[in-house]
Amino acid sequence: MEALERSLALFRPETTVAAGLLLVVAVDSIGAAWRNAAMRVLTLASLAVALVLAFELQASGAKGALFSGMVAVDPLGAAFKVILIAAGLLTVLAFTFRNSRELHGLGQGELFALVLALVLSSMLLAAANDLVMLYLALEMVSITSYVMVAYLKGDRMSNEASLKYVLFGAASTGSMLYGLSLLYGMAGTTALPGIQEFLAGGVPEANRFAVYAATLLVLAGFGFKIAAVPFHFWCPDVYQGAATPVTALLSVLPKAAGLAIALRFFYGAFSTSGASPWDLAGSIDWGQIVMVVSVVTMTVGNVAALTQTNMKRLLAYSSIAHAGYLLMGVVALSENGARGLLVYLAAYVFMNLGAFLVVTLVHLHEGTFDLRDYPGLYRRAPLLTIAMAFFLLSLVGIPPFVGFLGKLYVFGAVIEKGMGLYAVIAAANAAVAAYYYFRVLKVMTIDAGNEDRPALKLAFADRAWLVAFALANVVPLFFWSGVDQWARGALVLYAGGR
Amino acid sequence: MTAEALVFWVLAVVTVGSAAVVVLSRTLIYSAFALLFTFFGVAGLYVLLGADFLAATQLLIYVGGILVLLLFGVMLTHKIYSLDLRSELGSPWDWVAPASVAAGLFVILSATALKTQWAGAQRPPAPTTGDIGRLFLGKFLLPFEAASILLLVALVGAAMIVRRRRDA
Amino acid sequence: MISLSHYLVVSAALFALGVLGLLTRRNAVNVLMSIELILNSANVNLVAFSRFAAGNLGGQVFAVFVIVVAAAEVAVGLAIVLTLYRLRHTPNLDEADILKG
Repeated sequence: MEALERSLALFRPETTVAAGLLLVVAVDSIGAAWRNAAMRVLTLASLAVALVLAFELQASGAKGALFSGMVAVDPLGAAFKVILIAAGLLTVLAFTFRNSRELHGLGQGELFALVLALVLSSMLLAAANDLVMLYLALEMVSITSYVMVAYLKGDRMSNEASLKYVLFGAASTGSMLYGLSLLYGMAGTTALPGIQEFLAGGVPEANRFAVYAATLLVLAGFGFKIAAVPFHFWCPDVYQGAATPVTALLSVLPKAAGLAIALRFFYGAFSTSGASPWDLAGSIDWGQIVMVVSVVTMTVGNVAALTQTNMKRLLAYSSIAHAGYLLMGVVALSENGARGLLVYLAAYVFMNLGAFLVVTLVHLHEGTFDLRDYPGLYRRAPLLTIAMAFFLLSLVGIPPFVGFLGKLYVFGAVIEKGMGLYAVIAAANAAVAAYYYFRVLKVMTIDAGNEDRPALKLAFADRAWLVAFALANVVPLFFWSGVDQWARGALVLYAGGR
Repeated sequence: MTAEALVFWVLAVVTVGSAAVVVLSRTLIYSAFALLFTFFGVAGLYVLLGADFLAATQLLIYVGGILVLLLFGVMLTHKIYSLDLRSELGSPWDWVAPASVAAGLFVILSATALKTQWAGAQRPPAPTTGDIGRLFLGKFLLPFEAASILLLVALVGAAMIVRRRRDA
Repeated sequence: MISLSHYLVVSAALFALGVLGLLTRRNAVNVLMSIELILNSANVNLVAFSRFAAGNLGGQVFAVFVIVVAAAEVAVGLAIVLTLYRLRHTPNLDEADILKG
């Protein structure tokens, strides 16, 4: 019983979000007129409280396995939880049913419940320490996402997108499950530390192929979640078909959770408890495989984005490319790699949410997602355009924007590990990407068109959020040491023990 | 051949054979019913492996729930009175690449299975229900509770997606 | 003597057939059935390992959770197929062509 109490004490962010979820579902069943406002308040409150609790958890430095080894708690996991909850909170705050034209008139309760469920399951995934929990949490994230994409049920594109998402996702995770079963068969346990022990003890020659097969299949599942090539095919369609606030959320949460579990899985299951916890046992050279995946992913994402005119598809390919850069943090399996991953993800939240907010607002006022309708926005909505400039430059990775900080850390981690060529290819990719980001900016500012259209009147709240996100993209650079401290403090990863 | 071996081979043939029908049949309704036999076959294999609780769960949920749902899906997405419950498969040449991939997979996975040294602990068949129950409320408590949230989300989600009237 | 290998070969066959179905079938419900085949093959693996390799019930518990997840997935998947059918009168994937690729 005490073990349970101890586990619950360290599990407070999750229980808060779960409580919020259940309350929202309960309130939604009441027919009163105030229920929409009440649900929004409940959602925001539970996310805000959970965020504070997650910060506390990270600061406390707690480390160990909870619930009989099902989840692990450690400062790194807590830092990921902070990012996940913050992303959810910011999305619910900035994207409302009022400023998203696609969501007008749709039932609100379900979406709030789904957002909370997505945050909860992402947290469980990021902390999973056992194959059962890993699979369950992964599927929870996936199924919640499928439902969120299908939210615009009257819209054909949305429907097709969610169907493709479901089928592709179920196939990938089903294959991953087969791989997990092989690991169970070899190690005799479903616990990740147990599998780590088994692999560290030296894999007999006869088992090597099975380990390779299992790793590849597991990578299929993770790759699907992160939208890495060749498991990215669902991404542009789903991003385009889903309501933009949903897209914004999906561009961050599943990706961050997938990367967290990839880090934990490959660190926990495929490394030895050597002198430094970050040394990788020479058991299987999965690092090369992930590196190849990373390079192909960024290249495919960037090349495909070059010709896109639909803003949502463009941002979809852009986020595929960013998944490639983020994987650099996983490949450079080191303290700096994990730190890079954290900082990049935090930066990514602000740049991506900001960009999607701009796209949503343009759609609200203009009814279009097409870049060809964007000319003249500088004249018609200067604040919007300047904010978008901040987000785009941050996505390119130029100082003094926070995107530069993220790239700096992951590039640094990779170079420090001696993978110079890898860093060069990534840098080349970033240069190619600059083309399409600048193209959007050019269309908005310089291109002629829409001269006869009036200025856009943005609501105060929308303008406030644009400014807030824009500042969030610049200010951290001036508090670099603070950011560094936060990331450094997070670099403790729990592994081993029951 | 022992009784166990005989039962195994019968179950294996039924399972794999009906799975082949699921994948290869031109008629959707035949696929659905073949899937029924596949699920039964798998349940039988579970019994042979001593997983009594799991076999019952398989029958209850897979056959009684998922298969029924799939049959609803088949029935509701076709005109009831039309006999055209076919699924287009295209020319035989379309099959060459996928069939070779599948065959290759089978060979690779089987070879791997035969070659690998799996962990050595055996668990002779014994009643599992009590032990599984204890595990659900003990070691696997968190996934157990999380699964209930998953089902809540699936329930709310599926109902919301299919509901016709737009909610205000 | 029926051993672990026998079961693993059966599950490999199920997995391969499931993949074949994924690659060739055009009807969404058929693809869902193929995915169920894949999930069942993994489950057979888990239970067989539980009996012959791991010596514990972890595999069986895992299999129960897989069945739960499969049920949720099929429910959501079919809800979407049904809605798609209502809008387009076909559950065929080929004709879901508004989105490219």
